[in-house]
Amino acid sequence: MNFRQSARDCSVLLTAVFFAGLASSAAQSPAKQASVAPPAAKSYPPELVQQGGALFRKDCSFCHGRDAGGGESGPDLTRSKLVTADVDGDKIGPVVRNGRPDKGMPPFDRTDQQIASLAAFIHTQQNNAVSTGGRRGAGGRKGVDVSDLQTGNVEAGKKYFEGAGGCSSCHSPTGDLAGVASRYQGLELEERMLYPKRAKPKVSVTVSSGQTVDGTLAYLDEFTVGLTDSDGSYHSWRIRDVKFKVDPALNAHVELFPKYSDDDVHNLMAYLQTLR
Amino acid sequence: MTSVRNGFFIALTVVLALATPTIMRAQGADEQLLLHPKSDSWPGYHGDYSGRRHSALKQITPQNVNNLSLAWAFQTNQSALIKSSPLLVDGILYFTVPDNIWAIDARSGHQIWHYNKPTSEGEHIGNRGVAMYKGYLFFAAPDAHLISLNAKDGSVRWKVTVADVTKGYWTSMAPLVVGNHVLVGVSGDFDNLSGYIRAIDPETGATQWQWNSTPPAGTPNQTTGGMTWMTGTYDPDLNLVYWGTGNPTPVLNGSTRPGDDLYTCSIVALNPDTGKLAWAFQVSPHDTHDWDAVETPVLVDGGFHGEPKKMLMQTSRNGYFFVLDRTNGKSLLTAPYGPVNWALGIDKEGHPIPNPAKEPAPDGRLIAPDEGGLTNYRSPSFDTKNGLFVVDAHPSWSVYFAKPADGLYGWAGADYDVWGKGVIEAIDYQTGKIRWSHEVGPGGSGAGVLTTDSGLTITGDAMGNFLALDSSDGKTLWHAGSGSQIVSSPITYELDGRQYILTSSGSVMFAWALPQS
Repeated sequence: MNFRQSARDCSVLLTAVFFAGLASSAAQSPAKQASVAPPAAKSYPPELVQQGGALFRKDCSFCHGRDAGGGESGPDLTRSKLVTADVDGDKIGPVVRNGRPDKGMPPFDRTDQQIASLAAFIHTQQNNAVSTGGRRGAGGRKGVDVSDLQTGNVEAGKKYFEGAGGCSSCHSPTGDLAGVASRYQGLELEERMLYPKRAKPKVSVTVSSGQTVDGTLAYLDEFTVGLTDSDGSYHSWRIRDVKFKVDPALNAHVELFPKYSDDDVHNLMAYLQTLR
Repeated sequence: MTSVRNGFFIALTVVLALATPTIMRAQGADEQLLLHPKSDSWPGYHGDYSGRRHSALKQITPQNVNNLSLAWAFQTNQSALIKSSPLLVDGILYFTVPDNIWAIDARSGHQIWHYNKPTSEGEHIGNRGVAMYKGYLFFAAPDAHLISLNAKDGSVRWKVTVADVTKGYWTSMAPLVVGNHVLVGVSGDFDNLSGYIRAIDPETGATQWQWNSTPPAGTPNQTTGGMTWMTGTYDPDLNLVYWGTGNPTPVLNGSTRPGDDLYTCSIVALNPDTGKLAWAFQVSPHDTHDWDAVETPVLVDGGFHGEPKKMLMQTSRNGYFFVLDRTNGKSLLTAPYGPVNWALGIDKEGHPIPNPAKEPAPDGRLIAPDEGGLTNYRSPSFDTKNGLFVVDAHPSWSVYFAKPADGLYGWAGADYDVWGKGVIEAIDYQTGKIRWSHEVGPGGSGAGVLTTDSGLTITGDAMGNFLALDSSDGKTLWHAGSGSQIVSSPITYELDGRQYILTSSGSVMFAWALPQS
């Protein structure tokens, strides 16, 4: 259902996350995951895994799936780079305790022992997913493999890139996109192609004295604009006191959504995958 | 001397008697209060039975709302986000997170009692609040039990099983009390299970009837699903309750459930005394995108294209706004209220026609809206003053995948949201056109909407600002940063001649009012 927040509850997710439906994906391609997976999987005491599993089912499984393979809105943790890099909860713990407010994940106040059990459960699920060739447990969200995303036509994609898509007005296969297919593969490449969620637009703020401050947009609501300048310092102003302009380049991605056919997406993906 | 003294005491007593109203005996939520809530109460999830979340209160206005200030805040000191809509009865507020209920003095915000019984089973994703019948509360626990408590002290009267948590059910909704029935719905999406609504006797906990939205699991070529996640509405004149049902399962793969998959993704009208289906209207035939139809079925009486109508309106998760004649379930209007690309058109009966080419596929399909939908569980409001349906909308795009290897159980595929934003939209119900819109930030806001007769729209943005908007044009009149995500719907009430607006964010409940002289 909802949330399920989406948003529904994804805010607890979801909320909103499903809400709500606000969380985004950090899924990795299996090829990439295989290349960083530890050679020998560590095993954990069964009681610890069991404890972690019970905790996971209660607080995490709606968004991340009962098997940690992804649920409604939360990413597949068995394909997560962060999980792969984690040692006994050193990376997982801070995410659990701080949440990911920008993606709709709330913080959970958990003891060291609870974090250790959660980490044991998640690593065990990751090991199981690797050993079963990525097959998922019943019920949860499934994985997307690099091989699933090979139905497009390179030539048609190049034509779309240079023509109807308007991509070449901002991007260049020999400039910013040179080697992009070596940096990202599979679903991660496709998600970044459709909309680069992590990209922070540039902003230019003109204050009352007439002085202009340029930087990377760090915060914006109806009332406050904040930026990070080239020194890494944060500045903010009341919107009523200044004039500001956010670089609209990212909007071009949003304007394309209603224009794309599914073939356009697959063809563009085929073309981008040639940029190694 | 004595007589003077006596005279003084008599005078003082008279003054006190004039100044102090008689101490009212707590009435609880009796049938009259539920049917006709007073301005000093909010006795059900939606306030009244209509689901309009609109208040006749007029003390806080577009002209004075810029003076709105904090009356009190209550901190649950828990990490769970407040997703419930509080009840207010006899001056006491009741609200929840999973496994917890608080009873709070609505004047001061101080705690009267706290029920805190951790459960280990079932999803703990959220709880929408309690229901009240006379002096008793009803609370749906994550482990799919309905618990009845004494409102005075939070002591448990009884606890009954609503569904089998070991099969994959849980409960999160706020029950609906109609007459002597407590109506409870069930949650679940990761298993192929049937959804249902159950009527429970408020005195004994005995089951009175059960209405199943789908056939039992394992019935060949039939769907499962149709979970009843959210609180319905009620028309006492027609004696019908209106309820939205959830998506079918398997969720993203429809191959084992050919056809429309009744009664999933539907608005159903049931007799509350018997559970008998009066009519059903399916908003998403053969859904493959997880778009349940459990968003509030809002009941509005008024003119539609010049004719008086008893209407039902829903901004559905699938991206369409529906206006139905609630006496018979016939369509009056179907119109998209944001980007929607999954339908071939609208059929003669007002149902969107799903485009088979937009079902999830091995190489992905670009779909609007995303899985969270164009809106979700947070309440919309019908502004009776302006004739506008106001909703926290979520224009969004996503990619949906499904392949044979994903199987036919539970999710049975994968979907990833690509982009979304939040927009408060005021929809003209006669045409479906958007009269005004107000952007509330990237990703989307989790705030519900309340409107008032004075012309205010209360909601929130994606960054955690509470907002008061002018209902006539959507312009911001007041705001306050709350410091956390807003994932609940506001309420309002008047106590001692003072109007309060209640909003929550994160784990804190905030009460706002005009400054007292």
